[in-house]
Amino acid sequence: MAIQHWRIRDRYYRLIGSKCTECGAEFFPPVYKCKRCGSEKIEDSEMPRTGKIMTHTELHEPMPGFEDQAPFHLAVIELTNGARVLSQIVDSPGDTVKTGAKVRAVVRRVRVDGESGQILYGYKFIVD
Amino acid sequence: MARNRAYITSVGLTKIGDHWESSLLDLAVEAARKALKGAPKLKPQQIFVGNMFSSMAASQEHLGALVANALGLEGIPAFKVEAACSSGGSAFNVAYSLVKAGAIDSALVVGVEKMRDMEGDSVSKALCMAESAEWTQFVGATFAALNALLARYYMEQMNVTRDELSSIPVIDHANGVNAEHAQFRKAITPDVVARSAMIADPLRLFDCAPTGDGAAAVLLVNDKAASGPKRNLVEVLAGRVTTAVFSLYQRKDMLRFTATEEAFKQAMKDAGLSPAKLDFAEVHDAFSVTGALSLEAMGFSKRGMGSKDAAHGKYNLNSDLSINTFGGLKARGHPVGGTGVYEISEAFLQLTDQAGKNQVKDADYGVTQNVGGVDTTSAVHVFGRAA
Ligand SMILES: [Zn+2]
Repeated sequence: MAIQHWRIRDRYYRLIGSKCTECGAEFFPPVYKCKRCGSEKIEDSEMPRTGKIMTHTELHEPMPGFEDQAPFHLAVIELTNGARVLSQIVDSPGDTVKTGAKVRAVVRRVRVDGESGQILYGYKFIVD
Repeated sequence: MARNRAYITSVGLTKIGDHWESSLLDLAVEAARKALKGAPKLKPQQIFVGNMFSSMAASQEHLGALVANALGLEGIPAFKVEAACSSGGSAFNVAYSLVKAGAIDSALVVGVEKMRDMEGDSVSKALCMAESAEWTQFVGATFAALNALLARYYMEQMNVTRDELSSIPVIDHANGVNAEHAQFRKAITPDVVARSAMIADPLRLFDCAPTGDGAAAVLLVNDKAASGPKRNLVEVLAGRVTTAVFSLYQRKDMLRFTATEEAFKQAMKDAGLSPAKLDFAEVHDAFSVTGALSLEAMGFSKRGMGSKDAAHGKYNLNSDLSINTFGGLKARGHPVGGTGVYEISEAFLQLTDQAGKNQVKDADYGVTQNVGGVDTTSAVHVFGRAA
């Protein structure tokens, strides 16, 4: 996982997604082909860092490697450009994590890689 | 082009649950032998094994040749087909397509998963491989978490209550009581679901299909191989596999299961059958919410009405359309790569009057829906009594 993580660190740190140079549609995670117009003329694009919660959950039984963070909130976030991100919601009182809440991206420690002990960082969101 | 007809001659099932004493291969062989007994003189021309994560659970791949060897059928082509939780239905679809196209006369399809040899957290890691690792595992989301996000969205958008959401698990458990191969044979109430352990809010333990070991097998033949009367055979009238936008949360409308919608529509068209003719449906309800959205995708319920209709008795055993007649994923069990073949075997039992207390009266047609990911791959097959 660590090498995979290093390879896409820009996307994890800075929310680098894709922009279609034909029709302007933006996507996160990145795409190989525009989901709107079908063009393959795609370039990297930094996503806006604000959006709102479409749906959310409080996860009690997380993935291995995330046990010490549980329970934690996860949400589908619609960014202001229409792209959608699946992310943890952190540093926000539980009752503020609700559908429609405005959120903002931050960089946080994601987890410590089991084999290498390397600390992995990436995007999480907080309720604004 | 004259099309071949495809029939199931026989099926083989193991009980689903904790098979501490049996290996992945033991289970596959047990189910396969039972199915092969249905046509003792027949040597299947190809083998397809549906399985999702034998590599993680048993450090074993190359299942096609492994199963062929164990059955003494080395020499014939044999493959593993993987499409997450729809591995079983997809394996069957490949075999069916080849028989239908006239490329082969017969095939053995085995769906198998050995989940109990893994620790619980390894199982959740394995299941999550059905979703994009870089964007899902990275944020710590499990497969249940994704379905919880979907469940909340469904409840909020469609005004579905907690008890309504529980209605499909309740039907499953009611039907599982008399199913010999089912993992859980105990009826439950919505209260039991609502009080079970929280997994990922709003989904609780009883919203989620259990983990377990199991294998199912079916023997598929064309007209030529099905010599003799077809009275006890089941005809495969149609079968389609389709895929949707990979990640649930990237879909324009998260509440539309477009893979199932398309697969079902195409399969019913191929079968030349109106949905009203269907007597039962084996529906992929890995989570209560996916059962509801699947019923809506196949048009049995209007949008937002899947759980509500189930709560009002629309889908009980011997209602106009019975669902999950042996307990569905929730009560029969969900040995992931095996599930699709269990569903198909259950359709066979219904259409050959071998369903015992679970028999749907006067069942002539049925459909099975087997999904990988959150409706990312959907395998839909339509069956009828052989004439
Ligand atoms: Zn475009």
